Amino acid sequence: MNTSTTTAMDPSRRPTSAGGPPPRPSWTQRLRDPSEKTLAVLLLAPAFILLALIVVYPIARLIFNSFFDQRLSGRKGPRFVGFENYLLVFQDIDFWNAAGNTVLITVVTVPGALIVGLALAMLANLPFKRQWPVRLALLLPWALPLSFAGLIFAWFFHTELGVVNDVLRRLGADEATLWLLRPPLAMAAICLTIIWKTSSFMALILLAGLQMIPKSLYEAAEVDGASRWQQFWQITIPMLMPSIIVALIFRTITALQTFDIPYTMTRGGPGNSTETLAMLIHKTTIEYLDVGYGSTLAVFMFLLSLAVTAFYLKRVGQTA
Amino acid sequence: MNTMNGRHDTAQMAPLLRPRALLFFAAAAVVLNGFFPALWILLTSLKTEAELVSKPITWWPQQATLQNYVQAFSDQPLLRYLGNSAAVALLSTAVSLVVSTMAAYAIARLNLQHRQLILTCIVASSMFPLVTLLVPIFETMRTLGLLNTYAALIIPYTVLNLPVCTLVLVSFFQSIPRDLENAAMIDGCTRMGALVRVVLPLAAPGVFTAGILAFVNAWDEFLLALSLNAGASMRTLPVGITLYQGEFSFPWPIISAALIVAIVPVAVLIALFQERVVGGLTQGGLKG
Repeated sequence: MNTSTTTAMDPSRRPTSAGGPPPRPSWTQRLRDPSEKTLAVLLLAPAFILLALIVVYPIARLIFNSFFDQRLSGRKGPRFVGFENYLLVFQDIDFWNAAGNTVLITVVTVPGALIVGLALAMLANLPFKRQWPVRLALLLPWALPLSFAGLIFAWFFHTELGVVNDVLRRLGADEATLWLLRPPLAMAAICLTIIWKTSSFMALILLAGLQMIPKSLYEAAEVDGASRWQQFWQITIPMLMPSIIVALIFRTITALQTFDIPYTMTRGGPGNSTETLAMLIHKTTIEYLDVGYGSTLAVFMFLLSLAVTAFYLKRVGQTA
Repeated sequence: MNTMNGRHDTAQMAPLLRPRALLFFAAAAVVLNGFFPALWILLTSLKTEAELVSKPITWWPQQATLQNYVQAFSDQPLLRYLGNSAAVALLSTAVSLVVSTMAAYAIARLNLQHRQLILTCIVASSMFPLVTLLVPIFETMRTLGLLNTYAALIIPYTVLNLPVCTLVLVSFFQSIPRDLENAAMIDGCTRMGALVRVVLPLAAPGVFTAGILAFVNAWDEFLLALSLNAGASMRTLPVGITLYQGEFSFPWPIISAALIVAIVPVAVLIALFQERVVGGLTQGGLKG
């Protein structure tokens, strides 16, 4: 990653370290200018005030809540219970079910969206005469709300009236597949929907990366007799790595928060076989109004996201 | 077509023939993948209830009707939902852009000691799962008396979009040669003058890209809209459209019609500005 190295290195120092002619006037001027710091504070203040209000304070509040038995449904006020909620989480079958589903969705849909997105990006990068239909076809799924994608694909996977079963019937399937009514199939349908919905955003990021790869690299490889396959692994993938990492980070973080698509497709059913962590937290806090336990669940989800983020950032640091 | 081309450059014809067919199939695959769900919903929205439940299902509507659209607007206040979605998405995008442009300029251009740390802080805030912030945000909004107002959604959406917008804009600011700005300042411009007259116009594609990302994110958001603005008059489209479904009934043609109405504004926006969006994304890739 060239990005982080160039960002970390202070570009304004370059003239001096180069040891060439005297430093640019703007550099010395800026060094003497005390308003630089004031300007920075003023420019960054709105962002950090908003972050404090909407992210930092809620996180603190969340951790605080997790040590209380606090139900909005009853008349009783919050009661301090220490780590009791945390112990309950470990014994909670619903938590392990939801955590398992969330991890499964992440492990399936993140690589799935990357592969489909890469394929779409490489197809879209071909020299078409008219670019707009392909470009719009990549932008449309990205612009479609997740909840709409869930509704549309629930309709696709409808047992009697869905287009998926109609295609299968035309291909010779004898019986209609009960997509959303059988746990493994419902999970498969949800994963397919998530991959469809998210792969085009991947493709847009990767397409931008593809178009940045100099043609001369491929021409040189062609001269050296490299096959298409070799070119893909030796040129395309390494040159695309920064875009792939950015796309993967965003996709993994959103996959862990999966809510809209299972909620609109199955409401977590059949049973709670497709319930994700986000849905369990939403159900516990919004429907059962159990803020204390819901907050504890949220702390676990928070830690899970933090672990994933730390893992990626470490990997990014290694490649830099 | 092929034979004519073949006569012109016979030597290149053999390898060209198959790639041309492949090119067509590649384009067809991408277009089908992108458009089919929206197309299917459009076809469903034109079918009558009777045709819809006939088996085997029809692909093309036999008696196209617009009745579902009329009903989509009469069964629920769809126009109101559209207005709410547009207001919330536009206002939060505007605020996001102002806040993130300021922050991104400071990170990319000012002589900050901890620029990487500051950027990491802003980006890391997008790592926090929204659902975990839901209950505390709900309590905050209730304390501030903002539940069921546009502000209840605009403030969180602004923060939601801050990381993406800041990242896009930082990379754009960094891609603009510093010399241009320095030259402007040597010519007597103040730093703010250089920002407004030199840097911002050059960063316009980046601001536009960030704006579209923010707009789509805000238009898309479901969980907060469901929880903070549940009041009938303040619902946004994603929340409103889920209300067409009853306990046991799914009026699919009407839901499809409502979905088409909800999709069209964004689809038009994307179609009109697709080159700038994709161009902006491409330029964003420059830094990588």
